[in-house]
Amino acid sequence: MDRSHADLVITAGLAVLAGAAASAGAPTAVMVVLGIGLLAAPGYVWAKVLLGPVVTSLERVAVVAGLSLAGPVLGGLVLQSGGFSLHRATWVSLLVMLTLVGDAVLLRRRADQSNRADQHDRDDRPDRAVWTGGSATARRRRLPIWPVAAFAAAVLIAAGGVVLARYGATLQRYPGFTQLWLTPSRGHASAEELGLSNHQGTVMRYRLVLDRNGHTTATLDLTLADGQTWLGQMPFTGRSAISARLYRLPDLVHPYRHVFATVSTGPGP
Amino acid sequence: MVASRGILARLSPPAEREGNGRVRVAQSRLPVSLVALSAAAGVLVAAAAYTAGRLGYSGSPWADRAYWLGQALILVPSAVRLLSRRAVTAAETATVIVVLTVAEFLVKVCYSPAAFAFPDELEHWRGTTNILQTGALFAPNNLLPVSSLYPGLEELTSALSAITGLPVFISGLIVAGAAHLLFVCLIYLLFRHISGSARLAGIAVLLYVGNSHFQYFDSMFAYQTLALAFLGLTLLAAWRLTASPPSRERAGWLTIAVVGIFATVVTHHVTSYVLAAAPVLMTWVSRRVGHQRSAAWLAVLAWLAAVFVVGWLVFIARATVIYLLPVVGDMLRGLGSVFSSAQANATPLSGGPLGDWILSATAVLVLTAMLPVGWWQVWQRYRREPWPVAMAVGSISWYAIIAVRIWVPDGSELAGRASTFVFIPAAYIAGLGAMRLVQAGRGWAARVAAAAALAGTLTLMFDGLANGWPPYWERLPGPYRVGAYERSVEPEEVASAAWALTALGAGNRFATDFGNYPLLGSYGDQNPIGDIDYLYTSPRFTPSDADIVRAQSVRYMLVDIRLSKQLPAEGGYFPNSPPVTYLHPIPAANLRKFDHVPDINRLYDSGNIVIYDLGAVLNSGP
Repeated sequence: MDRSHADLVITAGLAVLAGAAASAGAPTAVMVVLGIGLLAAPGYVWAKVLLGPVVTSLERVAVVAGLSLAGPVLGGLVLQSGGFSLHRATWVSLLVMLTLVGDAVLLRRRADQSNRADQHDRDDRPDRAVWTGGSATARRRRLPIWPVAAFAAAVLIAAGGVVLARYGATLQRYPGFTQLWLTPSRGHASAEELGLSNHQGTVMRYRLVLDRNGHTTATLDLTLADGQTWLGQMPFTGRSAISARLYRLPDLVHPYRHVFATVSTGPGP
Repeated sequence: MVASRGILARLSPPAEREGNGRVRVAQSRLPVSLVALSAAAGVLVAAAAYTAGRLGYSGSPWADRAYWLGQALILVPSAVRLLSRRAVTAAETATVIVVLTVAEFLVKVCYSPAAFAFPDELEHWRGTTNILQTGALFAPNNLLPVSSLYPGLEELTSALSAITGLPVFISGLIVAGAAHLLFVCLIYLLFRHISGSARLAGIAVLLYVGNSHFQYFDSMFAYQTLALAFLGLTLLAAWRLTASPPSRERAGWLTIAVVGIFATVVTHHVTSYVLAAAPVLMTWVSRRVGHQRSAAWLAVLAWLAAVFVVGWLVFIARATVIYLLPVVGDMLRGLGSVFSSAQANATPLSGGPLGDWILSATAVLVLTAMLPVGWWQVWQRYRREPWPVAMAVGSISWYAIIAVRIWVPDGSELAGRASTFVFIPAAYIAGLGAMRLVQAGRGWAARVAAAAALAGTLTLMFDGLANGWPPYWERLPGPYRVGAYERSVEPEEVASAAWALTALGAGNRFATDFGNYPLLGSYGDQNPIGDIDYLYTSPRFTPSDADIVRAQSVRYMLVDIRLSKQLPAEGGYFPNSPPVTYLHPIPAANLRKFDHVPDINRLYDSGNIVIYDLGAVLNSGP
């Protein structure tokens, strides 16, 4: 393999691999690596197609990033106008196609330039260093140890800051709460759905008192773990005023939650 | 434009001539790797301050000091490195800029590390989720209807989320972070090309960081963040086109410019208008300074931008006019009152602590004073160069946003939003001024001048943080507050919004308050209404209330009983109501009045939040 085409092989291989992994339903960890690579690949290839050899490294990286971000933005509009639904397969197909077409254009251009260079002077090819990512001297240059170690430490410390912030968010204490609700029951015209969900951060004991037209029809004692939800139904006939009062045991004096509705077996509002 | 080598030489760092005639430039004692380490430590310290706030110390002066120590660890070494009189290479300058930008973005991430909490981010979370759920663009977004007409950000984020399987929050952070860093790198490259000096470009970016929207609004998961990256890409391509590239490269840069213009147009309205205006200004300037070739290319880009912007506005995004017209109207009325000597209804410059106000005033004075120095530099050295002259002309807008800030109602917010764009030319011109000070002569006077440039730059940078976002009252995360953006987002509010979607379905007209509004519209996928405060504040439910319910088609109503316990942290209790100064919280009886109305059902109760069904009221009456 000619080294000047290594980038084309890598981008095309990445695109095909990402496409295959997406079709096979690869796990998120794999798709994060391949997916981000797939998003960047069209930008890289098309920046190679569009840019000349005189741009700086940072400028080249910036254009690659800009085109990578613009690809899905403009491609999505084209797909939408073509009647395609924007799901995983469509996005992957778009990016694979953009990458492979770019690779083909670049390959053709390099072949043309190589032929022209053969006809003139093989030693005078200014683009070669750019295609191969720099001169041999630059590639041989060794990285200084201490600055690299300092930057690595900086990355770890900053990552530690984000981890600390995320951990701190889990430690933040919020007031616990209990949800009580009353909604029309799906599939039962003569019943309301009653729900109770405990988010107090601990096991809770409740008493639920159900009333219909001012008379208590049922009393339930419930014990719910943190995060647990209880669902029940309140049947009724004709036009009824129904309500549910929730007490937090042992306090049976002050209703803790309260919902009510005037309901009817006829068509609702 | 070929920035002359002479200019580059004049802008190079101080040098000493050795005995053999060779020039020796003093090397900095502060390596860039140390700047990176310090910035990383700053992120860690700021994260620790945020954690202290979450653990109940949000009001502690020590936690606040820790936050500012973290920011100092990020900002000061970066500024010292670039503003010292010692040598700095282009690679070092670029690295410092990247380190600074990434560190500030990570501090922003640490503020809300588990989920989006700011209303604008929740709006775009909803838009992205809509695309993921429906597979189609332009689906209605009740929280920010105009955003669905500019789907660039949501497209990119939904593509990343769909391909990788990452949640929208993580995908959004990646997209916003990448776009923000790209934008900063692009304006650095642009400044560097225009001036021919990496150091000047670095200093100009430092001054740009002083823009009060830099750390938060311009890096959040919002459509402007991505559009700014495309704006930067287009400006870079425009510069390259005017710099006489070979014909093959010209086609490439023109293609990149066209991609950048169209991507900007479909991503954010205001950014696309700025993009359309910028080449017009530069065309005019190019003609004035006699650069006909530049003028021709910039005119082509101006026409392309205008066609794309108008085409998108006419065929896709007509509702943008309705969205932006009131804002423009308020601004023009406010400015008009300046000239007619009428009493303007402006908000105070700053309602925060005295220290923040002094810092803000000082920063305004610093930039206002630095611009004329920069203009003088342009006149002396660059007056035949169209890009520096265009920057000088554009920087005059700095004085316009000061006027807006002082005289226009809600002017602080408008000026803040405009500063994202105004600071591009202003930072460049002020950077020329700062560079002049750094290079001023020799001896103690030179050191004083360099120290003044450093102090001025740091004043701007700290002002951008102190008077940007988050405001002083929620600089550190902490317990719930009424009407307080991020501080109004807690599990109970999120759970209530999620319940509304599950139990009631999507798209219901929902009356609500400031704090619950973005959550109901995003996680709840409801159509929230935020301008019917009368319904909440009236002591009894009267026929007038019922008329409001019918007029606004209110189906459900969320009542947060904490509105009776606290005054709103900022603004009002309701997001879209005219400004009202509340002296007391809303009486609890006014909020509970719905319990006694026969036709109103009380469907949900989570303690602080109650949801009522107004269906019977809505369908009754005239």
